[in-house]
Amino acid sequence: MDFESYDVLVVGGGLAGIRAAIAVVEANPRLKVAMVSKVYPMRSHTVSAEGGAAAALRPEDSYENHAFDTIKGSDYLADQDVVEAFVREAPIEVIQMEHWGCPWSRDPDGKISARPFGGMTTWRTCFAADKTGFHMLHTVFQNSLKYPQIHRHDEAFVTKLLVEDGRCAGVVAIDMRSGRFDAITAKAVILATGGLGRVYAFTTNGNICTGDGMALAYRAGVGLKDMEMVQFHPTGLPFTGILITEAVRGEGGYLTNKDGERFLKRYVPNKMELGPRDIISRAMTTEFEEGRGFEGPHGKYMHLDVRHLGEEVIDRKLPFMRELGREFVGIDIVHDPIPVRPVQHYMMGGVDADISGVTPLAGLYAAGECANVGLNGGNRLGSNSLSECLVFGAAAGRAAAEYASSAKAVGANPVASMLGDETKRIEMDYLHKKSGDERIGVIREEMQLAMDAGAGVFRTREGLEKLTKQLGALRDRFERIKIEDSSRTFNTELMAALELDYMLEVADVITYSALAREESRGAHARRDFPERNDERFLKHTIAYRTDEISPRLDYRDVRITNFKPQARAY
Amino acid sequence: MSAEAKTSARTATKTYRPAMGAGWWTKKRHYFLYMVREFTALPLALWLLWLLYEIQRAGRGPAGYYPPRSTAFVIFSVICLLFALYHSFTFLKLAGVILHFKVLDKPVPSGLIVASQFGAWLVASIVIGAVLIGFGR
Amino acid sequence: MAEKRITIRATRFDPEKDSEPRLQSYDIPFSDDSMVVLDALNYIKSHVDGSLSYRWSCRMGICGSCGMMVNGTPKLTCSAFLRDYYPRSVTVTPLNNFPIVRDLVVDMEDFMHKLKSIKPWIIRKQELPLGAGEHRQTMDQIDDFRQFSQCINCMLCYAACPVYGLDDKFLGPAAIALARRYNLDSRDQGIKVRLPVLASSDGVWECSFVGECSVVCPKGVDPAKAIQQTKLDTTMRFVLPYGNRE
Repeated sequence: MDFESYDVLVVGGGLAGIRAAIAVVEANPRLKVAMVSKVYPMRSHTVSAEGGAAAALRPEDSYENHAFDTIKGSDYLADQDVVEAFVREAPIEVIQMEHWGCPWSRDPDGKISARPFGGMTTWRTCFAADKTGFHMLHTVFQNSLKYPQIHRHDEAFVTKLLVEDGRCAGVVAIDMRSGRFDAITAKAVILATGGLGRVYAFTTNGNICTGDGMALAYRAGVGLKDMEMVQFHPTGLPFTGILITEAVRGEGGYLTNKDGERFLKRYVPNKMELGPRDIISRAMTTEFEEGRGFEGPHGKYMHLDVRHLGEEVIDRKLPFMRELGREFVGIDIVHDPIPVRPVQHYMMGGVDADISGVTPLAGLYAAGECANVGLNGGNRLGSNSLSECLVFGAAAGRAAAEYASSAKAVGANPVASMLGDETKRIEMDYLHKKSGDERIGVIREEMQLAMDAGAGVFRTREGLEKLTKQLGALRDRFERIKIEDSSRTFNTELMAALELDYMLEVADVITYSALAREESRGAHARRDFPERNDERFLKHTIAYRTDEISPRLDYRDVRITNFKPQARAY
Repeated sequence: MSAEAKTSARTATKTYRPAMGAGWWTKKRHYFLYMVREFTALPLALWLLWLLYEIQRAGRGPAGYYPPRSTAFVIFSVICLLFALYHSFTFLKLAGVILHFKVLDKPVPSGLIVASQFGAWLVASIVIGAVLIGFGR
Repeated sequence: MAEKRITIRATRFDPEKDSEPRLQSYDIPFSDDSMVVLDALNYIKSHVDGSLSYRWSCRMGICGSCGMMVNGTPKLTCSAFLRDYYPRSVTVTPLNNFPIVRDLVVDMEDFMHKLKSIKPWIIRKQELPLGAGEHRQTMDQIDDFRQFSQCINCMLCYAACPVYGLDDKFLGPAAIALARRYNLDSRDQGIKVRLPVLASSDGVWECSFVGECSVVCPKGVDPAKAIQQTKLDTTMRFVLPYGNRE
């Protein structure tokens, strides 16, 4: 039996995935690359990123400065050697994007401009108006069309990593159009599947952000690192959760409570609205709990005010925000304050990978939000993520290219039997199941609300323990779901069920990791352990899948080079 | 096989192609007005043919005959004038979309371009009208 | 107080069972004034009929996945508010002018092929080395092509274009607008390379300026403008071939 076979296979078509694919081909033009994505690449959630990409490009900036800001921002959980490599590569990647046509906003002298951003001590966030992710994604995607070596498998849903002889050998994917199960083999596989925001009810993330790659790696025996570190962005629109970029604060916006007070002076007096996201989200939540938030039909909120910036600045620097305000809230941000509240946004945790995207499973790499390479630690600074996707997408691509150039292909026989097993599993567990009385959407919504309540901005032991029980009950009910869609053609109900399966898995890992970390660090805030505890927890949590409900947790020391952990105050 | 052909072959399944139907332009006001705009070419062409015929009649006919004598032609001309005006109006409005140039590095607003086109049209109409009426006398 | 309800009619088509599409009616609660058509579809899928298939992702009008016909007009269902239709019923059908794969899902391969055919990347005679830093570009120069760079590839313009509906060989609004985006970018030198595709018989000259594409575009790209300007541009290059900017 013939299987499609490639040198490198990239799962995910967002910024990190496409950048990785291009890096493979540029490292070795004789390699064949498959890009397998469950959506067309232009739909990847990179497209919604707004604020910018950080890089130490300007003469008044320095690598050391960017590194320190990032490490302090991470609450010292970042691996410092990784950060130091990152800050050196980021400027190169920004210039590369410019050469590829990215419309970076410019200074009057024609050079790439930069704006202030949360936790950054100098202006280093390069931006393309307030649609940076959109422009970056379309730039890399359109650029990728140049390379005939890159073969796209659009709308192919990966259900399993193929592992043979202790190496990753490819994937099993459902071709959405035909419903056919395909085994696509490769000498190296790069996971670039993005985040998992949809395990939460209130999130900026799109429908497709369901933690697929993390679950796939987890099931293949790879650890998930620092999964308790979930970022809540301070400014999401109530009801929809649509992101209002940090750039609004970067351009000078004020956050005010019900009393009209810029309350952040009581929490981050030196940085005010440009403090790091975890601290501001906690500040807002505390203000809500103490009764100083506005009350609305969709929950409590604060005001984000940019009226003092004026129409010209807003139209030049924040036009998309004005559009979003008009479209979804019916306000004009030139004249009205924006209602905002903390919203799940980014996952610092992810697949255990190193500085080159190498995971403990031979032949498997990971990059972008789905990976944890040690860059963001306990809290990511805004605008580091877009740069992260480029730097580590490229790094993983190059590493995978080198590996694939000398690796042998996997034999066809083991692949055939793995494909057969996986096809049978999905048919038996989902498609051909006759009985079932639970609805996918209902279980999903209950999981999301439970996660919001138990694993949100503030956590407690009781809340997390209750959450583990709720997730356990939901997992039991999931075994009894009913799939009404019996068609093989574009069966989005099957896809939703498989995604829910992934989400329940990673939600468990988040919860157990959070229970075990008995301190507050970065975005992980425990009411019962409000202080940071470097003695016990200057370590990464690594969760491994077991046959029981809870994962096996291991700990690995954080790598310190030049910056000794200090108290984190802004 | 090219990458695309491979992809299509891989995912080829039965799809359904709805027919567009001959009445598509009745479904939306904008489509209907577009068809009217395109349609104006027909009455204008017919008018020109009729005009040529009338001129020929004038050449052969009794002394002092000229086309406006024929009432049918006059009525038809008025109808065609309305079509011609609509055609010109829509065409000149679109000039603002088609033409773009900068003066001193700032783009000229399309409203100004359209206004200039209508202005030029008015001037040209007056000049040509004056010439024709002058010759008529 | 009785809750508000609204009727949604959606196209159903399973190529394995159906010879042609049909409309299925659903009666759902209209529980919040901010509900959009996409919310209605999601409610149906979660609570009423899990087999309804459609594409969506970002729900904020930037990913371009959720384009469908809503009461006969191509729209992003994430930005089409139910309150603008209530109490009338809302009929959701797949984007016009595309083959239907399943329910509300259309075949996008033709569009993807056309996108690639106009070579949407910076083409230069001589590549600048990375070490030389960025090409200098001013905000005014970006203004030249900014509008045409806003396309989210949602394909509403193709659904609105009767020319594409009658002849799917037409290159189409979004592809031509993207070509113009690159042609106008001061860093690009590829106008001549893109010319054969743009000036071909299936290129800009198929367009008879109906203009509906620009009316339905949710991002204000104005592809009709891009096409007409490209017509003028290619004509001038033909008439005055000397001294042309690259």
